[in-house]
Amino acid sequence: MNEMNATPLAARADAPSRPALLRLEGISKSYGPTRANREVTFSIAPGEVVGLVGANGAGKSTLMRVLTGGAVPDAGRLVVDGTEVAWDRYGPRAAQRLGLRIVHQELSLCPNLTAAENMYLERPRTRAPAFWLGPYRRMVREGLAAVFPDARIDADQRVGRLDLAEQQMLEIARAAGDPALRLLILDEPTSSLSSEAARALHAHVAARAAQGLAVIFISHKLPEVLAVSDRVVVMRNGAVVADAPREEMTLPDLMAAVGGRAALAEVAPPAPSGAEGPILVRLGGALTSALGHEVELRAGEVVGLAGLEGGGQKTLLRRIREADGRGASEVERRGRASFVSGDRKAEGVLPLWSVLRNIVLGRVAAAPPLRAVRPEAEAAAARQWAERLSLAPERLDDGILDLSGGNQQKALIARGLVDASPIVLLDDPTRGVDIGAKRDFYRVLRQVASEGRLAVWHSTEDAEFLECDRVLVLSHGRIVADLRGAAITEEAIIAQSFATPDGTSPARRQAAAPSERVFGAIPFLGLALLVGLMAWINPLVLSGFGMQLLLGPAVTLVLVALAQMFIVGGSEVDLSVGNFVSMVNVLSATVLVTAPFFGGLALAAGLGGYAFLAVLIRTRGIPAIVATLGASFIWLGVGRTIQPSPGGSAPDWLGAAFDWQIPGLPAPLALILAAGAVALLIDRSPLGVVLRGFGAAPDALARLGWSPLRYSVCRYVIAGAFAMAAGLYLTAMNGASDVRVGGSYTLLSVAGIVVGGCALLGGRINPPGVVAGAVTLALIGAALAMLGVGTDFNALVQGSLLIAILGLRTALGGRRSDAA
Amino acid sequence: MRPDLMRFAGRHRWIWAALGVVILWTVLSGLTQSISLHALTGVATSAAFLLIAALGQMVVVTTGRGNIDLSIPSVITLSAFATVTVSGGQDANVPLAVAAVTAVALLTGGLNAILVVLLRIPAIIATLATGYMLATVTLLVNRQVKSSGTAETLAWLATNRVGGVPVVALLALAATVVAAWVLARLAYGWQLSATGQNWGAARLAGVPVGRTTALAFLASAMLAGITGMLLSAYAGGAFLEMGTPYLLQTVGAVVLGGTLIAGGSAVPAGTLFGALLLVLIVATMQIAGLPLGAQDIVQGVVIILVLALAGPRNAR
Repeated sequence: MNEMNATPLAARADAPSRPALLRLEGISKSYGPTRANREVTFSIAPGEVVGLVGANGAGKSTLMRVLTGGAVPDAGRLVVDGTEVAWDRYGPRAAQRLGLRIVHQELSLCPNLTAAENMYLERPRTRAPAFWLGPYRRMVREGLAAVFPDARIDADQRVGRLDLAEQQMLEIARAAGDPALRLLILDEPTSSLSSEAARALHAHVAARAAQGLAVIFISHKLPEVLAVSDRVVVMRNGAVVADAPREEMTLPDLMAAVGGRAALAEVAPPAPSGAEGPILVRLGGALTSALGHEVELRAGEVVGLAGLEGGGQKTLLRRIREADGRGASEVERRGRASFVSGDRKAEGVLPLWSVLRNIVLGRVAAAPPLRAVRPEAEAAAARQWAERLSLAPERLDDGILDLSGGNQQKALIARGLVDASPIVLLDDPTRGVDIGAKRDFYRVLRQVASEGRLAVWHSTEDAEFLECDRVLVLSHGRIVADLRGAAITEEAIIAQSFATPDGTSPARRQAAAPSERVFGAIPFLGLALLVGLMAWINPLVLSGFGMQLLLGPAVTLVLVALAQMFIVGGSEVDLSVGNFVSMVNVLSATVLVTAPFFGGLALAAGLGGYAFLAVLIRTRGIPAIVATLGASFIWLGVGRTIQPSPGGSAPDWLGAAFDWQIPGLPAPLALILAAGAVALLIDRSPLGVVLRGFGAAPDALARLGWSPLRYSVCRYVIAGAFAMAAGLYLTAMNGASDVRVGGSYTLLSVAGIVVGGCALLGGRINPPGVVAGAVTLALIGAALAMLGVGTDFNALVQGSLLIAILGLRTALGGRRSDAA
Repeated sequence: MRPDLMRFAGRHRWIWAALGVVILWTVLSGLTQSISLHALTGVATSAAFLLIAALGQMVVVTTGRGNIDLSIPSVITLSAFATVTVSGGQDANVPLAVAAVTAVALLTGGLNAILVVLLRIPAIIATLATGYMLATVTLLVNRQVKSSGTAETLAWLATNRVGGVPVVALLALAATVVAAWVLARLAYGWQLSATGQNWGAARLAGVPVGRTTALAFLASAMLAGITGMLLSAYAGGAFLEMGTPYLLQTVGAVVLGGTLIAGGSAVPAGTLFGALLLVLIVATMQIAGLPLGAQDIVQGVVIILVLALAGPRNAR
């Protein structure tokens, strides 16, 4: 396999004289039965641009994962600067220290953070307390200017609101701007870029290479590869099959090398399908505009969906699944359809069940809820299909996770076939499956088709399409070719896959949610409206005394809501916060008065409890809901034990602490503003940025080396501190304590952050909004009283407000941006 | 031998709660002479009320994705008030009271289902909010309550015994058997388990995941309604906060019984023993003279501890 050595590195006159930056030697890597890399040898010199091409599943991604520390190979060596790297001490961080970086196709930015904040997560080195984001804004601007001079991206814009192309540019600029960078790997960097941006990237690559940067350029766009590379490496079936200077490669050569001969040539080509069956699926509209005619799929056919990754095959398969009856839509389905996914973990196995039960589900899934299930009768049918797929009968009672990937997949295919639905949709069903299981699958699929079913099959392995009667090739979401019988060859599929249908633009714009700004303004508008209404009824509301009276109770809710906000920023909810406030109220009105030292100790222990809760949630995998529910009763119990009935008194100093005056500013208003300011400062600090990052993309942060446990503890302690302030404030104001005082604050705090414009998932929080939302909620009671409505309706109004806002957000599609 | 035992315990997760019940019972009867048949009846009655509501919580938890029903206490309280107010202690009005409780349950469960399934609001928030709003309704009803007294039929169900066994315990046992049968032998049970194990996989396999989740919330509200109705008959009236202990205790019984908190696997027998164990723990603390607060602490600690010991496997 050392074709590398067979081909002299003569592309650049000076290349051979330079020692290699790094060498991968004899790399082999298997995932289960799939050999992703077979003894691959690859090297790159400083200043060299290598184009890496290959069909889907050829092993490029695996090789790059090995190179950048994302996977440890089964065999082989990595030599960097002439020194061999020890695999057990190699990982993404180590690779980055060596100056080896990859920009992935799927982006790894935190969507809820700004461009500059994302830059901080990656390079948290410079520390400047005031205006600390300044250097990172500059890095974003300078990094972008270096690569994409025409890009106009605001460093303070949230990444989730940038379109795909802008995100891609940012990601590339972030990696390219790394001062330690020596090798830059770009995986499909131009797939979502405009042609101008792509040209800018090409120019930047050339310029940086001239300065000595090594670049690996992975792309399905072969002309692009030939344009930017000094040398082209072609992979197929996990091995390097060609490695030559660009000058020695032509486009047809390259296409031939990528396609190659059928890997599964030993399988006999299918017999042409028999008589034309009834039409089961009809495709038309924009989907087939490039083809010029509608596509009808009939019973008895095995239809392949081919194309480059992301060409629209998966989407089409799902559209067929969700299409109903008939209508004017582009996709029409006649008859039931079952679905088999190759993503076994996320879309296939039911991990708690046996193999047999997993199969039987196919007969029970869509049944009326009250239909009786007779396990033995159902099992008989399931066993039949297991047998047809050569699934060992003695394994059927084992847990499905005990089986190999291939056998798991057989069970899932059996599930898709067992209820005799006329249409079977298969989404890459042989992913990571051994050749034996594949053959069984091909055979059964053929039988099933001949029995009068329609199989629609998306594969990421182009060789598999030789098993089909018919192949639809998709590109940019449209069908560009309809190949049948002898016309189905890997070459034809690949040639068509690279086609670009007219009228498609490469950059898909992510619709910016207009609702976001509206929701951002709601808390302030709502508050202004409410205060306006109250002032209209009674102008005294706006007087210093009126504010003092009305805002006094609001302080507590503001503090509790800010506590809840930090937890929700981590995509969790704290059910214990209300009772924690009660407990602090009791502790500070009793023990803290009689024995200040022990009182202080007890309060500190309360914070410790919050920290411990965080540790349990992270290390023991307890859902935060149940952990905090349990904790809420512990807080309540402590409070009740110390003081079974209301009473106590406030320590003098505590009253003084909350009872200061700024001339012209009512104390409660000052306190509310101060609390909001503290929360805002924390949220905007480096710590706050990391906390928010964890709320949206915990895996990405962990990969960058941030400790989930440490920041979880930070999060809960911050929340605990705000809740504690709320409890102390209650004591100071009421001069007494009541263990039942805090109960309703749990829901109110959640309502406050929702009214305040925070998302319950995805780490998007907004301290000023939360302050406004909490004050609004606190004023509702007073407003109702002024309107002559009993305060009994308080809870009803507050709860309805919470639900109305959440419902409205879903209705306006806000949830999509939550998920982004 | 040992692996076999572990395997058995892994398959029948109710065994741990049952073991806990036996051990605690043995210790209790060894320590005090006061544990009598009478005490046993008391424990069985308390456990029965808890069990009926906990079965509903179990079904909701089994739908997975962190789903939980926090509106159970409010439904219990409001149903108790509805029973007292509507029946007015007259047997003739019992059907009307049943209708009222059914309406409360269906409205609450339906609202929860709409919020969670259609509006995609996390169950924890949705049920917290509905429960909170129901509290308002309860406050208003509380003002209206003029009549009191318990209809005889209901009183018989809640307080009488058949062959020494409390009727309500028999009812709870029957509910458990029905739940076990539905979960094991009806398509709904399969669909529920599939939904909770792997939402995406269940949906692609053709399970109506939305309907399945909605039915779980309806069932939970219905069972809470029944609990409230019987509880009002047992207590001879209704009072605010009547349902409050059931918030933590239903979750506790479910967790102790081995039902996976992450969803996908319900253990009705475990919930039975979990309810018994929890009530026994409370009874022990009462016998030991621990204050109310300490009882709260112990219950909270037990739930967190059980989950911490079960470990990440449980959370999946």
